[in-house]
Amino acid sequence: MAAVSNVVRVAMDDSTDVALAAAGDRQAFERLYQTHANRVFSLCARMSGSRTKGEELTQDVFVRTWEKLPQFRGESAFSTWLHRLAVNVVLNARKTEGKQASRTEQNDEDEERWDQVARAPMHIERMDLADAISKLPAGARKVFVLHDVEGFKHEEIAEMMGITSGGSKAQLHRARLLLREALER
Amino acid sequence: MTSSNMTCEAFDTALPDYLEGTLDDSRRASVERHLSECVRCTSLLRDIENISKQAAALPDMVPSRDLWQGIEARIAAPVIPLAARPERQRRVVPAWMGVAAAALVVSTAGITYTLTARSFGGAQTRIAPIAPRDTQAQANTSETPTSPVDNGGAGTPPVAATNSAKTTVPDRTLPPVSLVKATATDREHSDQVYGREIDMLQNIVSQRRTQLDSSTVAIIEKNLKIIDRAIEQSRAALAKDPASRMLDQQLTHALDKKVELLRTAAMLPANT
Repeated sequence: MAAVSNVVRVAMDDSTDVALAAAGDRQAFERLYQTHANRVFSLCARMSGSRTKGEELTQDVFVRTWEKLPQFRGESAFSTWLHRLAVNVVLNARKTEGKQASRTEQNDEDEERWDQVARAPMHIERMDLADAISKLPAGARKVFVLHDVEGFKHEEIAEMMGITSGGSKAQLHRARLLLREALER
Repeated sequence: MTSSNMTCEAFDTALPDYLEGTLDDSRRASVERHLSECVRCTSLLRDIENISKQAAALPDMVPSRDLWQGIEARIAAPVIPLAARPERQRRVVPAWMGVAAAALVVSTAGITYTLTARSFGGAQTRIAPIAPRDTQAQANTSETPTSPVDNGGAGTPPVAATNSAKTTVPDRTLPPVSLVKATATDREHSDQVYGREIDMLQNIVSQRRTQLDSSTVAIIEKNLKIIDRAIEQSRAALAKDPASRMLDQQLTHALDKKVELLRTAAMLPANT
C-alpha cells in the first residue's frame, strides 16, 4: 500500500515538475533529474558498455530533455518518453562514432575484446552479469540491454536501431549465448 | 516430426523462436519433447532463461560523480534562436556568412572610429554605469526569454542566428546575450563581466571539444578567430579614442558575438 502511494506520489510530482520545467523552471528540472538520473545513467552505461561514456551520455540526455520538454504532450508517461529519448541519444551517439571509425573496425575491435574475455585464464574470478554485458560486442549488447533489461520489443528495437526484427532476434540470441559462455566459466 | 527426430542443432535453431513464443504448435511440441529427453538442451534453456530474468532485475546504477553541475552549466546558457532549416542543410554552416558578419563588424568598427573622431573630436561623453547581469536580466525579461527552434535530431545548429526566428516563451528565464548595456562607459567593469563569462564558456567548450564533430569545432574556431580580430581592432581604436561611445558599443557588440558563439557551442549536443 505504501509502495503504491509512493508510486502515485512520484507520478504526481513528475507531472507538476514536468509542467514547471517545460515552462523554464530549472529547479523543477533538477528534481526530475534527481528522480530519473540513475535509471537514465544505467541505460546509457549499459548500452555504451562504459561508465564514463554513460556519464557523458546521461548529461547529453538531460540537456536534450530540457530542449525537448516544451514539446512533451503527456501522451505517454514522462519516464517512458524520457527513456525513449535516452535510447535515441545513445544510438545517435553510437551512429556518429560508427561514422568516425569504420563499421568493420568497430566490429573487429568488439570481437577481439570478446575473444580476450573468452580466453581469459580460468583463475580469474567469475564475471557477474553486469560485467559480462559491458564486454559484449556492441550490436549484441545494445539489443540485449534494450530487450532483456529495458523490456523493449523486437519491433521497437528494430525501428530504433534501423535493423530488421529478425536481426534484433539474432543479436539477442547471440548475446545470450555469449553471456552464458562468460558466466559459466 | 517426432522428438526423436529433433537434433540438438535443430533445437538450437528453434530456440530463439521458442523463447519468443512464436513457434507453431507442432514445432513447440517437438521442442518440448526434445527437452524432456536432452540434458544439454534443457541446461541451455534454463541458463538462458535465468540470464534474461537476472537482466530484467538488474538494479539501477549510480553515477560516480554529480552530473547535474555539467547539465546545469549547459542548460543555463541562453538558447540562441536558430533559423529553422531542413535537416540536410543544418550540418553545412556556410563559412562565408560568418566571415561576412565578422567583416561587417570590423569594417563598421573602422567606419565608426573615423566618424566618431570627426564628429566628437575627442569630447568626453558621460554614460551611465553598467547594471549587474542579474539585474539586467530581470529588468529586460521581455527581451531575454527565447526558445530554441527544435533541431529534431543531432544536427549541427548554425552558428549565425536570425532575429526572425525568435520565439518568446514565458519564464524560460535565460540571461540576455548582451551582458552589459551598449551605453556602458566603465570599460574595465564591462571587460570583467565579459571576461568571466567568456572564460566560463571557453572552459565548457574546451571540455566538450572531444564530443563535437571535428568540422563543427573547426567552424567554431574559425569564427572565434574572426571575432577576436574584430575585438582587437575595436580595442585598438578605442585606445586611441577612449571617449568614443560608438566604439565602445562596437566593442560590446563584438564581445556579445563571442559570448553568443561560445554559448551556442556549449549547447551543441555531443557528436553533432
